Amino acid sequence: MIVPFGHVLILAGLLFLMGVFCTVTRRSLIMMLLGIEIMLNAAAILLVGSTLHWQNLEGQVIVLFVFAVAAAEVSVGLALIVWAYRRTGSVDPGDYNLLK
Amino acid sequence: MSDTLTLDSTLIAAVLATLLPFASFVLIMVFTRNHRRLSAGLSIGAITVSLISAVFLLVCHWHLQTPLQYFGRWVVSGDIVIPYGFLLDPVSLLMLTVVAAISFLVQGYSLGYMADDKGFSRYYAFMSLFAWAMLNLTIAPTLFQLYIFWELVGLSSYLLIGFWYEKFSASQAGKKAFVMTRLGDVAFFLGLLLALVHLGNLNILELNSPRVAAQMSPTLITVSALLIFGGIIGKSAQFPLMTWLPDAMEGPTPVSALLHSATMVAAGVFLFCRLFPFFSQSAVAMGVFLAIGTITMLLSSTMAMVSRDIKQVWAYSTISQLGFMIMGLAAGSFFAGMFHLTTHAGFKALLFLCAGVFIHALGTNDIFEISRLGGRRLKVPTVCMAIAAAALAGLPPFSGFFSKEVILAALAELDNPIWLVAGLLGAFLTAYYTFRLIFILVVPDQSEPRQPDDSHGHAGYWQMGGPLIVLATVTVLLGFFQGPLENFFGNHICSVSAHTGSHGWLPYIAIATAASGLILAWVEFGRRNSARVGFVERIGWLYNLFSERWYMDRFYRRFVDVVIYRIISGLCTQNDNRVIDAGLDALSKDAVQSGRFVSELHLSMIQYRLLAIFVVVALLALYFFF
Repeated sequence: MIVPFGHVLILAGLLFLMGVFCTVTRRSLIMMLLGIEIMLNAAAILLVGSTLHWQNLEGQVIVLFVFAVAAAEVSVGLALIVWAYRRTGSVDPGDYNLLK
Repeated sequence: MSDTLTLDSTLIAAVLATLLPFASFVLIMVFTRNHRRLSAGLSIGAITVSLISAVFLLVCHWHLQTPLQYFGRWVVSGDIVIPYGFLLDPVSLLMLTVVAAISFLVQGYSLGYMADDKGFSRYYAFMSLFAWAMLNLTIAPTLFQLYIFWELVGLSSYLLIGFWYEKFSASQAGKKAFVMTRLGDVAFFLGLLLALVHLGNLNILELNSPRVAAQMSPTLITVSALLIFGGIIGKSAQFPLMTWLPDAMEGPTPVSALLHSATMVAAGVFLFCRLFPFFSQSAVAMGVFLAIGTITMLLSSTMAMVSRDIKQVWAYSTISQLGFMIMGLAAGSFFAGMFHLTTHAGFKALLFLCAGVFIHALGTNDIFEISRLGGRRLKVPTVCMAIAAAALAGLPPFSGFFSKEVILAALAELDNPIWLVAGLLGAFLTAYYTFRLIFILVVPDQSEPRQPDDSHGHAGYWQMGGPLIVLATVTVLLGFFQGPLENFFGNHICSVSAHTGSHGWLPYIAIATAASGLILAWVEFGRRNSARVGFVERIGWLYNLFSERWYMDRFYRRFVDVVIYRIISGLCTQNDNRVIDAGLDALSKDAVQSGRFVSELHLSMIQYRLLAIFVVVALLALYFFF
């Protein structure tokens, strides 16, 4: 493997932190969903890196599954967001206060 | 070879007799409700075949030595097998024939009586249902099967009393009859369970065998006999539960004739005959039965003395005659009860059917009104009614005289003469109220002469007249068959009381009592220029007592109002409101409250919470790894 394992770790960690930051700070559901996807991809990068490091290909198979799940998750999540927007006219999670 | 052939034809006849009315009930209800003639034809056809089968059975087994039983398994569950079958012995054969014959005649009569009714098909369907239930009741080999049909008979009685359900009083009367007979049936059922627990099965023949005494203690036999008698009290309108029967006259008159005089109410007495050997093992229970029969007979005779409604008079007399049968049976004469049951079925059906012709033709139930409108011009019913009344009063040579004489002889055998005196008093009262009605009807009222229109030509007169003539013939002739009938029963039931010749004076006393009742009625109602006021009506409080049915209905009304409505259902309402409702309200209120509280925690702070989760996870990771 050309890239050292440590670099992979750092990349994945940074990507994950960026995802967390995006999810927690942005005031839009779409951006939150995007953040979640980025966290998922960080985990995927880590999996690919570790399979190469330990010479065990099962991790890459898992990554394929993760992509499939992520695609499904995005479609469902976007549908929910569209529905929520139609109901309330807003995608700001702070505006959803039906329970108040 | 020929033996098996007879057995088979017996079975086929029994199945035919008991199944066809049900088939016609189903067919009418499902297919032919809108075809009046077809419905009536189905029903009458079915009952005709039943009648022919019943007569065939009776003739075939006239010299029956041992009872025939047929069993099939109906329900099997583990060790419990519930059989379904037929029991043919003199009691069931005779009753089967009586029921089929009277049903047949009444259904023929109804062609005329119900001709203009819109519920014509429904009427015939219910009549078929009744016939099916009653025929099966008579030949049930186990008390369990008998109980099922007993209840079905109660159901069809309810349906037929409330036949004109648009009329409030009719539906009320149906309800009253159903509830009151149900009271007795609860006791009956408890009695059955008691016998079942101790004997292991409810086969009637086994219940009647002397072996029962070995399996049940005398106290238990007494208790279960008394409980089973509760059912008889309800069905046959005996003393505490007798007030439903007069109200049951709200139904169409043929129904009153069939159910509430000749057959259904006789089911109670029939059950007594069925279990006669069982009951007679308990002297205490027999004493109670005798007392109840006597009280019933005297009370209802007095009620009949003041009633103005023609059907009510016959209803009271039915109760009184049923009490008389119970007296005869309880006095130890099996034959007396069964014989009076048979003759009574004939002449009482005749009385009601005659009353039905008057009501149909003149449109009123009031005897004075019928007399004023010229009821006596309807020759056939008037003559038939006089014949039946003479039988009811116990005048020779009509059938009632013979059967009453047998009962009185049985009463005379008892040690205590009070029962015989009560029986004679009852016979006197019966003759009085019977001929009171006849004289009111027959003797023209001079005070208000009116020229009645000739009602002879009205529709259905001869349709209704035919059964009357048949029944009148039976009433006249049946008494002379006492000997053969006695042999028929004597073959089989060993405990028929030995008729000694020591009561040779009794028939004369009986005739004298009946005649004195007749003469009193003639003096007060039949004489020219008589006041047409009975001696009871002259005494105000006595008249009130009798016409208010000894205040029994008032008592029940108050009892129901106070004990059931106010106390029991009051407590139930309180329980409902204060415990169940309030508890559920409190529970749901608390649930709502806690939901509100939790929802406060969920208010639109997703991202802060996400942040908190991430921080916590990160800190936990730091803690665990380093």
